[in-house]
Amino acid sequence: MEPYKYEKSREWFDRALKVVPSGVYGHLGPAEGNFIPVDKWPLLGSRAQGTYCWDVDGNRFIDYMCAFGPNILGYNDPDVDGAAMEQMKICNCTTTPSYKMVELAELMVDTVTSADWAFFAKNGGDTTTAAVMCARAHTHRKKIVFVGGFYHGVAPWTQKVDYPGVLPEDVANNLYIPWNDTAAFENIIAENEGEIAAFISTPYMHGNYLDNELPAPGYWQKIRELCTKHGIVLIIDDVRCGFRLSLEGSDAFYGFEADLICFCKAIANGWNVSALCGKEFMKAAMCSLSYTGSYWLSAVPFAAGIANITKMKALKLPELLREKGIKVCEGLKAAAANNGFDLVVSGEPSLFYLRTANDGSLFLHQEWVAEMMQRGVFVTSHHNHFINYALSDEDIALTLEIADECFGIVAKNNPKYFG
Amino acid sequence: MLDQKTLAYINMYAILGTLENLCELDPEARALMTNPKPIALAFDVKGGPKATITFAGGRVRVRPGIHKCDIKIPVGSCEKFNAVINGTATPVPVKGFRYISFLLKDFDALTKLLERYLRASEEDLADPVFFERSTTLMLYVIAVSLSQIGDYDEIGRFSAGYIPDGEVAFSIKNGPAATIHAKDHVLSTEKRYPENPRAIMEFESLELARALFDGKVNALACIGNGSIAMSGMINMIDNLNRILDRVALYLA
Repeated sequence: MEPYKYEKSREWFDRALKVVPSGVYGHLGPAEGNFIPVDKWPLLGSRAQGTYCWDVDGNRFIDYMCAFGPNILGYNDPDVDGAAMEQMKICNCTTTPSYKMVELAELMVDTVTSADWAFFAKNGGDTTTAAVMCARAHTHRKKIVFVGGFYHGVAPWTQKVDYPGVLPEDVANNLYIPWNDTAAFENIIAENEGEIAAFISTPYMHGNYLDNELPAPGYWQKIRELCTKHGIVLIIDDVRCGFRLSLEGSDAFYGFEADLICFCKAIANGWNVSALCGKEFMKAAMCSLSYTGSYWLSAVPFAAGIANITKMKALKLPELLREKGIKVCEGLKAAAANNGFDLVVSGEPSLFYLRTANDGSLFLHQEWVAEMMQRGVFVTSHHNHFINYALSDEDIALTLEIADECFGIVAKNNPKYFG
Repeated sequence: MLDQKTLAYINMYAILGTLENLCELDPEARALMTNPKPIALAFDVKGGPKATITFAGGRVRVRPGIHKCDIKIPVGSCEKFNAVINGTATPVPVKGFRYISFLLKDFDALTKLLERYLRASEEDLADPVFFERSTTLMLYVIAVSLSQIGDYDEIGRFSAGYIPDGEVAFSIKNGPAATIHAKDHVLSTEKRYPENPRAIMEFESLELARALFDGKVNALACIGNGSIAMSGMINMIDNLNRILDRVALYLA
């Protein structure tokens, strides 16, 4: 297969660099997105449909990043987009919020096990910040326990003390423990008796640059028990996993109930809405917060969310995504082994993480990812991937065929490891 | 906020340590050393770095620790040592008064020449040979400062705490290079390209490196346009970049 070229991407990116900091900033850009080497990657897109996206050069990609999660049914899903378009004719951003807000909140409460109420915003970080503020308002305590390797957004409190623009004071009340370590949690509770407002964590460890780790048996039940015993609010950041493991919430998937649970990416299949859901006893504290935004109660994303959740329920989507993810992961492992690669697959199948273990670094894996990109499969070297409903068996077969070719190319280029 | 102890280590190993490279790169520097016999100068900083600098045959060598020396300069604190380096305090040796002329003449001239390269004027940089030497020396100063900040600065140590073991190549394409070693979250620097890097951060040219060192371009934008290439264990580079952000603070 002839490798893709990205001439128009480069032209557009050079224009962007003049008027946008970093050209494309954040996780979708070449720096944080780990485009290695940058000339092998598309930089700007033109359109998307189903499981595919196209760049400005017209190159088509089977997209395993799904806009880093929001695309769960497939880009431009007719049912979700139809509902959004219908709502757009009626009203969107208005002085009196649409009743669609109530309908979506009722649907969230009916769907998510630990939800007695839903509070809407725009991005995942809006909801993690709301959750922490709510926990502090409820407990009148200041400290928050994080799990090492965490990512809960980009607000200063979620960043680390060495990040540009972050003050030591911003993170002065952050405490850190390792993943899957309940003893460390017990110790930190003892060391900070009566001072911890909340424990915040993703349902499993899906940090970047490392193999993803599932919860050990009994881990979440012990964390739940300790939080309850010590009056600590248990916050689950389900922004990334939400609706891909279970429509009832990833806490339900792992057999426990959170006090507060944050959703965003997959609520509305790409329409911009996030939600913090919580238990009844947390509602008063949430009511007390001064926390809102200009577009948080817009009706179009609410209509899209209602259509999306309704469709996901009808499809029993998490099971389908899991099946597709298993097919992809097993196929990739076989293609890797066929070419002498030790491909480590970790995390849940619908959000699988990949690492090549042959070289003890990421050079080989980055080479393979770059070859995949140039042949139309959008994967990444540092982050978990995402499965969407529109991904067909034919797409998976093509992915595996390309993967086999790319493993072969990298093996040939690295006789040191595959000679 | 600057930590005086960290700054003292930077001054000892990144600034005075670069005298080694100055004498390798510039014949004028070698000519400044008129001492017919080797001279060893030891700085003993209370609560800070201790190192012995040997001047012999036109070469300079900086070794950690107090070794056999001809001149010994005890300094009461990191703050005082930093004042000596920035020229606002005068060092007083307790040993080696007969070498005082070396201190006042040769050593002083060498450090002034180094300062000319490290705080280069636009006029000097217009000379391609000076430009290359200055940028090379800057790369070494920055590479050594990275490990000092990662080892001593409170926030730098936080960043180093996230760096896995291994060697990072910090280099200019077809030009000078350094290795940042990480072992159990302690950093050290060698002024050579690593044999087995786990991560690579490479500037495409001396000009690009210079612009970056002078704060005229942004590293993230350079990654986007391909003028800075990174690969391998990006979490090593990511955390080194956070320390790099503090290098500018210390070297300002």
